[in-house]
Amino acid sequence: MCMWSRSQRRLALICLVGAAGLRAQGTLNSQGDIKINVPADSPVTLVSTSMGESRAMPRGAALVLDLHMSLTLRNSSPNRIHGVALRVVSQEVTVGGKASVSVPSLNVGPGEAFPVRIDLQLMRPTQVAGGPLVQVDLDGVLFQDFSFYGPDRLNSRRSMTAWEMEAQRDREHFKRVLAQFGPQGLQQEMLSSLTRQSERPQLDVRVVRRRAVSGAGAAVNAAQTAQFAFVNFPDSPVEPLDGWAELSGNEAQSPRIQVRNRSNKPVKYVELAWLVSDEKGRQYVAASLPASDPDLYLPPGRTARVLQDTELRFSLHSEPVNIRKMTGFVSQVEFTDGKVWIPNRQNLENAALLTVLAPSAEEQRLSDLYRKKGLQALVDELHKF
Amino acid sequence: MRHPSESTLALYAGGDLGPFARWRTDRHLAGCDSCREDVAAFAGLRDALPALGDIPDALWDPLAPEMKANIRLGLAAGECVRSSDAPRRHSLFSGVRAAVAVASIAAVLITAMVLEHPFPRQQPGPRRAPESVILQTTRDGIEVGDGGQGLKLKHAGAQNVMYSVGAQGSMRARYVDPETGNVTINNVYVE
Repeated sequence: MCMWSRSQRRLALICLVGAAGLRAQGTLNSQGDIKINVPADSPVTLVSTSMGESRAMPRGAALVLDLHMSLTLRNSSPNRIHGVALRVVSQEVTVGGKASVSVPSLNVGPGEAFPVRIDLQLMRPTQVAGGPLVQVDLDGVLFQDFSFYGPDRLNSRRSMTAWEMEAQRDREHFKRVLAQFGPQGLQQEMLSSLTRQSERPQLDVRVVRRRAVSGAGAAVNAAQTAQFAFVNFPDSPVEPLDGWAELSGNEAQSPRIQVRNRSNKPVKYVELAWLVSDEKGRQYVAASLPASDPDLYLPPGRTARVLQDTELRFSLHSEPVNIRKMTGFVSQVEFTDGKVWIPNRQNLENAALLTVLAPSAEEQRLSDLYRKKGLQALVDELHKF
Repeated sequence: MRHPSESTLALYAGGDLGPFARWRTDRHLAGCDSCREDVAAFAGLRDALPALGDIPDALWDPLAPEMKANIRLGLAAGECVRSSDAPRRHSLFSGVRAAVAVASIAAVLITAMVLEHPFPRQQPGPRRAPESVILQTTRDGIEVGDGGQGLKLKHAGAQNVMYSVGAQGSMRARYVDPETGNVTINNVYVE
């Protein structure tokens, strides 16, 4: 026998759902919901954490977390810090998604503090186990002398070393321009850089991973195998020999490129830049193509194959871009001794690649500084290095 | 009977008619049910309008440095063009000055338009297979998603964002953080 009428039961159910929704919607706190791991022996210390307007909101059967976190870190080491990488993971996101936030091009002296902002949105099922919603770990710190601290689970050492080398390369370039042609010459160079950045075509690329993929990957309708053309830099320690990918309309997949180590040192990582051209001959950066083998060991004179099973789809302003040609060049090499090679600026300029490639992080920072604060601020900044 | 126009009735409903026109409309309304209903309808519409008039405030403070930067840039570009010219006439509206003025105004307008209406970089389209894991750019960030779950790193408010893709299953957004002035590189990965 039931004591409640049907309408009473319905009302109670509505109240229950409403209460659950209200409970789910709330602000996040940095104590229980967010876990920040900065090891005790780390060269940076966490000074403060601000959660701003972070909150969790129910959306259907899912929970949407909006995390606006600002960390203040202090350099507690005796060396200047030039880059920091933080790893951001949510154990509840079963797709295996993870994220990182890196801040390169820093110049933080001992005892100085600097901010790192993390703006994250997470959508996950409401019914999940307890524990922190988001975990932030220090993945690495790069110093001025290229020494490194950190667990390096995201290969931050290699990435930050390459960014720092690009930063040094481009700062040197701008300092040389300043020395040879004076402030007006530097100004012209900055204006050219800003023009390149604004005119640089940028494709929208979607990366699709299929769980059922095995071997060569899922078939693309009416795919054709297309060959890569290569740009060879004279000083590159690794040269591309040949390569193909499957193309179908605006989709490309399964790129594979054979490379040879022509240096006298063993190589443990190779990355190529993958450029594509559309029907009108306009060239775009499609992706970087890293070696898939995490245990790559390429002795001098030996060859290896760089391949990936991912599927890429290209569009521009929401319209598919059909791919007609592909070009590749070696963009990064790491030797077994930890040294990293990147193309020099002259080679990029000679190959007319500066207009296609994104500027380095440092060039982006310096041009933004010039744009916002003017020529003298830029000159002062260059003199700091 | 000649009825007042709709615009007259609308102005009447809002009390925006002049004294003579108002007197004439009063006289007409005294004997015309149809026009009284129209006026009542216009009055009702006006009651609803204030809610629509609550236009969200533009965030002018964050826009100001961008606008100033673009104006400075336009002027600097103009100066560079002028300094490389041969000696020439100095007329008030020379081509270079006009170009600089137009460029500066265009830069300000474009910046304002872009910031007010950020260009949608990628609309999520239909997925070929439900089991796919997708990395993509969105209007305000980069995300890895799979069905009802997803992880997105946002770069709201950032200008000149550089996107790059790693064929192994990663996506990167690089920008100068407008609050800290530091270059920030966001990455999302598929494991």
